[in-house]
This record gives sequence, C-alpha cells and structure tokens, in this order.
Amino acid sequence: MLRFVGQAVFLAAVLGVLLYLLDNVVYNLERLGIPTGFDYLDQSAGFAIPDSDFRSSQSLLDALLVGVQNTVKVSLIGIVLATVLGVVIGVARLSTNWLVRRAAAAYVELFRNVPVLIIIIFFWLGIFLRLPPITRATEILDLVVLSNRGLVIPWFEKEGSGAAFGLVALAGLVLAVVVWVWRTRRFDRTGQPHHRFLWAGGVLVAMLAVGFFATGRPWVITTPERGELATAGGFRLAPEYAALLLGLTIYTASHIAEIVRGSILAVSRGQSEAANAVGLSDFQRLRFVVLPQAFRISIPPVANQYLNLVKNSSLGVAVSYYEVTKITQVSISQRAPAVQAILVLMGIYLVFSLSIAAVTNLINRRLTLKGR
Amino acid sequence: MATRIDTLEPIPAPERPPQRRLSPREWARENLFGSWLDTVLTVVFGLVVAWLVYRLGKFVFVDARWEIIERNITNLMVSRFPRDELWRVWAALLVLGPSLGFGAGSAAAARRREAEEGRAAVVPERASALRRLGPLLLLVGVLLWFAQSFQATLLTLAVGVLGVAGYLLGRRVALSGRRTALVVLLGIAAAYVVVTGFGGVGWEDWGGFMLTILLAVGGILLAFPFGVLLALGRRSSLPVVRAVCVAYIELFRGVPLIAVLFMGAFMIGFLLPAGVERPSLVTRALIALVLFTAAYVAEIVRGGLQGVPAGQVEAAQALGLSHFRITTRIVLPQALRTVIPGLVGQFISLFKDTSLVAIIGLTELLNVSRNITAQPDFIAQGLIVETLLFAAFVYWTGAYWMSRESQRLERRLGLGER
Amino acid sequence: MRISKVWLLAGALLAVLVLAAGCSLGDDDDNGNGEAAGDTGQAEAGGGGGGGNLLAEVQDRGTLRCGVNDAVPGFGFQDEAGEFQGFDIDFCRAVAAAVLGDPEAVEFRPLTAEQRFTALQGREVDVLIRNTTWTSSRDGTEGARFLYTTFYDGQGMMVREDSGYESLEDMDGETICVLSGTTTELNLESRMQALGVNYEPLAFEDNEPLQEAFVQERCGAWTSDKSQLAGVRSNFPEDQGGPESLVILDETMSKEPLGPVVRDGDDTWADAVNWAVIATVQAEEFGITSENIDEQLESEDPEIQRFLGQPVEGEPFDSGLGLPADFAVQVIRAVGNYGEIYDRNVGEGSALELPRDFNALWTDGGLHQAPPYR
Repeated sequence: MLRFVGQAVFLAAVLGVLLYLLDNVVYNLERLGIPTGFDYLDQSAGFAIPDSDFRSSQSLLDALLVGVQNTVKVSLIGIVLATVLGVVIGVARLSTNWLVRRAAAAYVELFRNVPVLIIIIFFWLGIFLRLPPITRATEILDLVVLSNRGLVIPWFEKEGSGAAFGLVALAGLVLAVVVWVWRTRRFDRTGQPHHRFLWAGGVLVAMLAVGFFATGRPWVITTPERGELATAGGFRLAPEYAALLLGLTIYTASHIAEIVRGSILAVSRGQSEAANAVGLSDFQRLRFVVLPQAFRISIPPVANQYLNLVKNSSLGVAVSYYEVTKITQVSISQRAPAVQAILVLMGIYLVFSLSIAAVTNLINRRLTLKGR
Repeated sequence: MATRIDTLEPIPAPERPPQRRLSPREWARENLFGSWLDTVLTVVFGLVVAWLVYRLGKFVFVDARWEIIERNITNLMVSRFPRDELWRVWAALLVLGPSLGFGAGSAAAARRREAEEGRAAVVPERASALRRLGPLLLLVGVLLWFAQSFQATLLTLAVGVLGVAGYLLGRRVALSGRRTALVVLLGIAAAYVVVTGFGGVGWEDWGGFMLTILLAVGGILLAFPFGVLLALGRRSSLPVVRAVCVAYIELFRGVPLIAVLFMGAFMIGFLLPAGVERPSLVTRALIALVLFTAAYVAEIVRGGLQGVPAGQVEAAQALGLSHFRITTRIVLPQALRTVIPGLVGQFISLFKDTSLVAIIGLTELLNVSRNITAQPDFIAQGLIVETLLFAAFVYWTGAYWMSRESQRLERRLGLGER
Repeated sequence: MRISKVWLLAGALLAVLVLAAGCSLGDDDDNGNGEAAGDTGQAEAGGGGGGGNLLAEVQDRGTLRCGVNDAVPGFGFQDEAGEFQGFDIDFCRAVAAAVLGDPEAVEFRPLTAEQRFTALQGREVDVLIRNTTWTSSRDGTEGARFLYTTFYDGQGMMVREDSGYESLEDMDGETICVLSGTTTELNLESRMQALGVNYEPLAFEDNEPLQEAFVQERCGAWTSDKSQLAGVRSNFPEDQGGPESLVILDETMSKEPLGPVVRDGDDTWADAVNWAVIATVQAEEFGITSENIDEQLESEDPEIQRFLGQPVEGEPFDSGLGLPADFAVQVIRAVGNYGEIYDRNVGEGSALELPRDFNALWTDGGLHQAPPYR
C-alpha cells in the first residue's frame, strides 16, 4: 500500500513539474506572439541547401527530410569506414612489428584525446580547403578531379527507363539470398566448404550484367569534366561532407581500435596457441579463431561507438554540412520557433538512437542464443 | 620507487624467461625486419611516419606564424575576464595547487598503506614523477613560452612549489579516501570563491580556457549527485520510479550534446515563468551539460552498483538494516570506489565536449581561438590553422594526461580487487 | 557514523558551491525578483505600446546589458586585452554614458545570429546593437523595435579581379560564400532565383571560415554587407594579391539599415536609447567633438546650449526623455560624435577605411539627419 502511494506521489510530482514547464512554455510563447503548434513546418524555407534538389520554396519539413537523408548518408558510410579503419588499427596495435605497433598507438592516443569538433574543423580548414582551387585542379587519368570544390569520380547516370532494370536487380537480389541460404544449408548438412559469399555474389553480378544489357543499357558511366567553376558529370564528394566524414571516421576509429585490441586480448591465449598447434597460418588464426570470438565480445561497445558517431554527425553544423542539426539551426535563425524546432530535432535523434539500439539488441541476442 | 617498502612479500609474479639484452641489430631484426612482409611494412610505415613528422615539424617550427598566439595568450586563457582582476585567478591557482597536490599525496600514501597491510598488491612504480606529469609540464611550458612574462613564470613556479609541498604534506598526513576527496573539493570551492566572491567576477564574464575548465569541473561535480540518484532510481524496485529514470537516461543518451546545448540556449528561457530573470548563457550551458552528463554518470554508477555482490545486501538485510542504510552505508561506498576510472573517463569526454559550447556562442578556448583571427592585425591572413592547432594542443595535453592517469588508476584498482 | 558525517559535509559543500553561484548572480536576481510583478505586467502589454520601466531598472542596476557581436571586424570584436571594440560597441558605451553617466558600465553579451532575438525577448539584454538589419517581419513578429539607423549598408558581392565577373548574371554555376542565419542568405537566394542563375551556396555562422574559404578559392564570390566586404578587401594580404586583386561589384542587392534594437512595448526606454544615439549625430552637425567639448560648453549659441544641457535663460532644457540634462555631454566625452566613432572604427582612421558615402551627414549628401533637439 505504501509502495503504491509513494509511487503515485512520485509520478504526480514528475508529471506536475512537466506540466508546469509545459504551461510556462505555452504561456511564454503566446505572450511573445510565437505560434505554439507545429504548423511552422509547412512554411516555405527560404534558404537553399547545397548538393540537393531542394528548392527554397519548399517547406521546412522537406528541408528537415533532406537533413535526415544527409545525416544517414554521412553516418552509414562513416560507420563502415570507421569499422574497417578501427579493426585495422586495433590489430596493428598488437603487431609484432615495433614500428607498426608504435604508429598505431600514436594514432590512437593522438585522436582519442582531441575534441572531435576540432578534428572536423581542422580537416576542413587545414586539409580540404588547401587542395588546389578548381582552376588548378588535379586530374588523374581524366577520371578523377580533385580540387577544393570536391573530389569528383566517375559515376552512373540514368539514361532511359530504370524500372525494368530495377525489377531484374530485385529478382537478382532475391535469387542471391536463395543461393546463400542453399549454400549455408548444404554446409550445415555436409560440412563441405560453402563459399556462400562467392556464390551469392556471383549470382547477383551475373543477374545485374544480364539485366543491364537486356533492358537496353539504362545507365551510362559519366566521367567528370572540369569546367571553369565546377565539374560536370560524375559524382561529387563535397569538401564539407568529406571533412565531416573523415573527422568522424578517424575519431571513431581511434575508439573502435581500442575496443578491438581489448577484445582480441580477451580471447584466451590458449586459443591462439591451439590454432598454431593445428598448423593454421597467421592469417587463418586471426580470421577463423581470434576475430570471430573477439567480434562477439566487442559488439556492445562497438555499437555504442556507432551511436556516438551518429550523434557526433550533428557537428556538421561546424563545417556547414546540411545534416539535420544544421538545418534546424538555420531554420531557427530564419524564424522557425526555437522550442518546437529543438523538440523535433531531439525526436529525430531519438528515433535514430532507438533503432540502432534495437538492431544491436537483435544481433546480440542472436549471437548469444547460439550458446557456443 | 615502490621497492623501498618491501615489508610484505609481494605475490611472486609468474616466472619470466630470462631477458636477453639484444644488440640494436638483433633488436631491429626481431622487431622490424622479422619477415618479408614485416620489412615491407616497416619501410612503408617508416616513410609515411617520417613524412608526417617532417610536415608537422616544419609547420610548427618554421612556417607557422605564432605571433597571434603570443599576443593573445591572456585572451586565450581568460578572454573577457577583467584584466585588473587577474590576480584573483593567480590566487585561485595558488590555492588549487597545494590542495590538488595534497590530494595526490594523500591518495598515494593510502595506496602504500593498503599495500603494506596486504589489502592490495604492490604495484611497482615504473614511471618517474617527471614522466607522469610530462604532458602537463609540456602544456605549462608552452603556455609560458608564449606568455613570455617573468611575472607569470614566477607565479607558475610558486604554484608548482606549493603543489609539491602539498604533495609531500599529503603523503605524511595520509588521510582516508573520503577526507582526501573533501580536501580537494574544499580547495576547488575555495578557489572558486577567491575568483567570484568579495566583489569578484561572476562566471558569466569568464572565458577562454578558464571557462572550459569551469564547465568541465562544474559539470561533473554537479552531475555526480544527480547521476547517483538516477542510477539508484533505475535499480529501484518501484516500477514507476524505474520507468521515469530509464526514460530520462535514455532520452539524454539518445540525443547529441549539441541538441541539448541548443535546448539550453533557446529553450530554458521559455521554461521559466514570465518575469523570472533568465539565467546567463554560461549558466544555461552549464545546466545543459549537467543534464546531459548526469545520464552518462548514472550508467557508469549503475555498472558499479551491479558489481556489488548480492551477498552484501543480503547480509545487511539479515542484520536488520533499513533499506536507506543499506544503500548509503553498504552499497554506495563499494560501488563508488569501483566507478572512479569510469568517472574520470566521463570527465575527459566532458572536458573535450565543452568545445561544443563554441557553437552556441560562448567564448571558451575553441571560440576564442577562432575569434582572434578577426582582430585588425590578423584579419584575412589564414591564421586559423595556427590558432586551431594551439587549441588542439591544449585539449590534447590535458586529455592525454588524464587518460594516462586514469589507466594507471584502473590497473591499481583492478589489481586491488583480485 | 563517520560515513554519514562525511556525506553531510560533502552535501553542505555542494550547497555552499551552489549558494556561491547564486551569490555571484545575486545582483541580477534581486532586481529580477523585485521587479517581477512589474515585468509580467509590462510583458503582457506586449506590442501595445504602454509604459515600461526598463530605464529605471537599468539605472537601478547600474549597468547596461548590451547584446553584441564579438567577431566582426570594425563593428564588434574583442581585442588582445579581451576588451570589446568597434562601431557597435561604441554605441553601447554611448547609451551607457547617457543613461548611467559611465561609458564603462556595460555588460557585453556576445550573441550568435540565431540567439539575438530570443535573447532580446528573454530580457537577457536591454538593447541589441549587433549588425541587425531592420526588416518588417523582424519588427512585426520578433517583438523587436528598431531605432535610429546608425549605419546604412547594402548587400554586395565581392569577387576576384581575374574572374572577370561584372554582374550577378555572369555567375552561373559559381559557388558563393554567405553568412547563414542572416537576411543576406535569404536575399541571395531570392535574388538569384529571380535572375534564374544557378549557384551553389556555402553558408557559415561566422565570418572567419567564410574568409578562409574565399581566400582558398573554395568559393568564387562572397556576398555580405558591403562594409564587411570592404573591410576584408582592404586587409587582403599582399601575398594573396592584395586589395587590388578583389573587386566589389557595383550592384547593391539589398538595403541593409543597421541600428540598435530594443523590445517592443517600452517607449521610455526606446526613446532614451534612441536619443543617446542621435546625440552623436547632432554633435557632429554642431561640430562638437570629444576634444572641443569643453570650449563648446561655453558656447553662446542657444541651440548648442540647449543640446548640451546648459542653462538657457536660467533653466537647463528638459526634453522629458528621462535622461539627465547633460546626457549629450556625457556621450560626447565618452565616445565622441558620430564622425569620430565612424573614423575610429570603420572609417579613414581604421583598418577598414570605409568612405562615408550614405553615412555622411545630410549636409554632405548623406542620410544622417538628427531630428531637431528642442
């Protein structure tokens, strides 16, 4: 009974405080003649967003959606790159080569102990801005153009209908999954090498190739052409994007490297020695014995780093990369109501965080359920 | 260092194979050119590292124009802080030096005592004091070199001497852990009062590195009690309390700090009833940092709470202690001891994260180092690389020093538990 | 037993810390609380005019809170001693001199572009003097009231001389640097839309990164208030080609009248700030400077006597603004007349070397005309 009353009082107190604050907000907003709802999202933005089809007459909601896309764009690629770099450096820290070991340690200690904001700003100002200007851009084999207006590489350009090709590609994907499952089952049954990656990949590539020609070559590859002011064709990696991506990658990799190192050390030494005794090569020992076990240990902390990377992508504000925080900041200064805009911003990040947490939990559960 | 106190026979370490002294040539063969792949790696890495070191060295010692830092060193340290009140900052340092030194000395003595009583293993002290303080001394040296002021050098030396004196006193007096913490906290509080009290300068006029430190230290100190409460709440048996605490923790851990700082900058004013004076931007940033950090502190403390064996609680229950007493006398003291390294880690991230308040317009170290490039003498000269490098150096030495010390602490505590 | 004592002590310590924090803000709090009822009443009056009490509050408090910029060359920045300097800063000092008789009694609050209006609405600052453009929507929806325009500016476009650009139409496909969160950003977008010119914006909150981007040719053009551009141009390093290598296009993309801003609904305060600012212009019209002010106090001219608060026919002139009779003297002693402020910070005597142009007195073909003081 006391428990119940106590909790009820606690809940009432918390709700009371929240309601009081909400009441204050609404009162203050009305007093200052600021709209209280979320209608402002329909107003036209008025500002432009670089590297997008966004037009300034579109609504603030559309602008936010572009921001979400940009956040995803930098986070996903950042996660992949940071993982690769982090694993390499984490393994390098345990190398038998003194120089490699020391260089990796220096990398970790250098980047872990500097604010990521400074790293990002420094990459932009100190490296990407100092690339040659567009008029003196570096061109490599007429394929790549590198200047401080971006790195441009050959890319596909749509020509004709992509719908039929899309269908073929989808079918290819389904077929590849089927092949993957088949190879896995066969491996489980017979124990023969599955090579499922090769098989599935091969099927997918074959399907894409067939589809490409069968549907009348819907894509062509364009190479960048340098103009006076910008490049035409190809895919452009803007310096602001590159600075943010590289800053996040390098900073997060320094943390992931430490996790990887710790996880490898946590795999008992006997495992390595046993692998040596069975006659596995160094690479095989790492690939088939040590890393798979280290991988499981490192999932929760690494997932935490992924989450940090997504959150740190908000520092795009500092180099004017138009991710969702930057868009919020710009819209606040262009007269979107600050309170609502920040609530929306926090809501968006919560969705990101919760989905990453959900995926991690899923993976974690699957791996522990196997009960190896 | 610690070999002097061999009153207790240390647990013998596992026998190691006898170390053979390698000639440089053998060493190189073993460590650099062990195999064909190793040789390639060594050459490639050697070239890359040499190139990077050359570029950085050339920039720092030859190309960089450090005049902007030399002329703005006071600005970078304190920014808007009124210059005729600067003596207060020095006075505060003269108070802080000995109290922090005392804390370090007392903690060192406590460890020695524990080792003597056999409650902890003897950890051989490998690094000399000079090496341990290396990054910090480097930072102070660089700052003084830029300041080029006799007075500042003298005062810094005085702070150093007092710090060492405090350390020696601390080793002699050797207070308990809690009392040591109390002395350090009192020192910090006294330093704060010296700067702000008696017609001093409130923190809304602080700036530069001083503001960075205020935000980091103030943030962690204020977030700590809040975080402990949240952690206890998260482990409460009352579902409503637990749900509220979980919601708070997950909310603040799920959003980036910059969003919380925006909240501080733009929203806090609206949360207050009309007519109440809106707190200054520094205060609001501090509130945001505390709200944010508390969620992380709560998770760290929760880890510590989970580490307390259930038997401890059951034994206390069997003795008939009340729930409150069990928490404050049995669980928390044991949990908090184990979370110290985690809290230091959190303090380091907070120290680095304070740079984000530059985005909401506070003139802390990073922002000052950006703003000074707008001064008439330095405008449009691309000096921002120099100023950013300087700021990065200050953050790096601080964070690197603390992380090294925290690793040592972790090793100590880890060994002590086993 | 011992444990709980220690915890008690730690708690007490924390309480002391918090208390100390409170004390350091003590003066503010006292005023805040003391005036709380009045504040609410006034705030509720909203945009409806009505009397306010900020003038009395500021005089009570003894300091003026001025929202400023801390990184705009010539207008508002911190010098090596950490002191605020600049054109806008001098007007903060002028207001403090007029209202409080002490040009040093100013608390400068640097504000970012996004924060300035919320800070003004939230009573964090008494007056905002921060390169703020007077627009109808800001006047209407931000609860702001714009006062005498201290600086007539216009948005311009700066390009490299060797780019060959002569007008905006030439700039198709160019990357343009622009300060974000400003009217400049919106002007650029609508102007280019109207002209049908494609461009790539590169927008930053602060000037320094933009400047760096422009110097490194990340963007081929930089749009901002012409005064800012001129400041950068005149200081453009010689090793980058010097000032001659840059051109500011003739085209003015917008009008940018910049001046002090106060909250809506407090006419007394608005008048006080306004006339403190106007006094500098009036002084220049009369030829009164910070150097000859003592001689001018002896002047026989009744207009000048009235302006300087000297007794005319026995009584000092009182215009009912709530300011001391000699406020103009205080202002001029503190910061000089408009021309002096201009020259010192942005004009010939400064690093920016801006000509007076629109900002000359009306008698010299400019736009500055002080309303009659009588």
